[in-house]
Amino acid sequence: MDNEVYSFALKNALNEIQNICPDIKNSFMFKENGEIIAGDENTPKKVVVRVLDSFNGILEKADAIGGVEGVTLEGSKGRVNISCMNNLYLVTVTSIKADMNYVNTVTHVLIPTILRLLEKIHPPPLKSNTPPLENETEIPVAEEPEEQEETPVEETLETKTLLPELPVNQLIVENLGGLLVPSDTVRIDNELLSQWEEFSEDTKIEKVELETFGGKTTQCKVKPIKDSKYEGKGIIRTPEKIQLNLEIKKGELVRVKPVVD
Amino acid sequence: MVRKKKSAQEVAAVTEPLAVEESLGNSLRANLEEINTYNGVIGYILRNSTSAAIDLKDPTKIIDYAILSSAALDASEVLSEDFKLGAMKNIIVDGKDVKVLSLTVNENKISVFMEKEANCEKVLRKLHNL
Repeated sequence: MDNEVYSFALKNALNEIQNICPDIKNSFMFKENGEIIAGDENTPKKVVVRVLDSFNGILEKADAIGGVEGVTLEGSKGRVNISCMNNLYLVTVTSIKADMNYVNTVTHVLIPTILRLLEKIHPPPLKSNTPPLENETEIPVAEEPEEQEETPVEETLETKTLLPELPVNQLIVENLGGLLVPSDTVRIDNELLSQWEEFSEDTKIEKVELETFGGKTTQCKVKPIKDSKYEGKGIIRTPEKIQLNLEIKKGELVRVKPVVD
Repeated sequence: MVRKKKSAQEVAAVTEPLAVEESLGNSLRANLEEINTYNGVIGYILRNSTSAAIDLKDPTKIIDYAILSSAALDASEVLSEDFKLGAMKNIIVDGKDVKVLSLTVNENKISVFMEKEANCEKVLRKLHNL
């Protein structure tokens, strides 16, 4: 819920900034790990993913210059500016006639102010959607992890009341097809499944909830990705039937969270 | 890509501009050499499909800077296309210690490395005069 509030506030801020600076054509914010925090309504998710991918290419190679604080690209018809603010990156795309002093003044004052306010109101989402490993030790654990496979249903239900809100991850849709592929099962990284299982006190995650940016949701079964070429890429392999139901397609982003029955 | 890196490494100890081939425009090279004397400029990489010229004050950074320069120019193409920005003029990557100005002049890909406080506009003006 906090995450939604956080994204909602930033999304509104970005839209308002575009209202007062009409020369800003696109704007969105993301974390260093590639998670999109908020975006305006004009920027297609595919474009956002491609931008993140390109920016990541620079970020990975920027140790030699002490990491990236910002990127400015000037084209004949417009500019792209990526600036780092409170460990988040803000991307703004402006037309060539934009008054960059005005745009920078507005964005560099408003966004950090909103981020500071949000940090005071809702601190956890600023750090990460997925809780870091160190924090997992603080989650009350009712049983030894080794006993996870034998956990009776009743005990799982009892411990469920102690669980904090389960993490939500944004994953990129990848096609999953074949003759023997069940149409109700998606596949995600085994590592992510393990993290969720640790986070949910070793409850086996068998179902996930998918939510599109258009607000459509569905629950389906989940299994680990088998094909190593899809591992570690933030991908969710999704059968065509689920893609049709959710009106999504390959390359789009979906929010995915574990379902603990 | 790998071949270029290797040639850069081989000539890293030389203080003069490295591996310059005559095919590169003389005016471009001359301008870059002049830019290299500007306050805060710490070097440049100039490359095209057949040759490369590198002059960096710290030769140990040649490989890292060459890879970053390439990534920045690649990203600029993607961003220009996705946001319909027209022809790419330049891309500046601001690091915590150093900033990099990259641009393409004809077939030549240029990256100028400078300290954070260096005057980017002056370098740009010089390069756009080509």
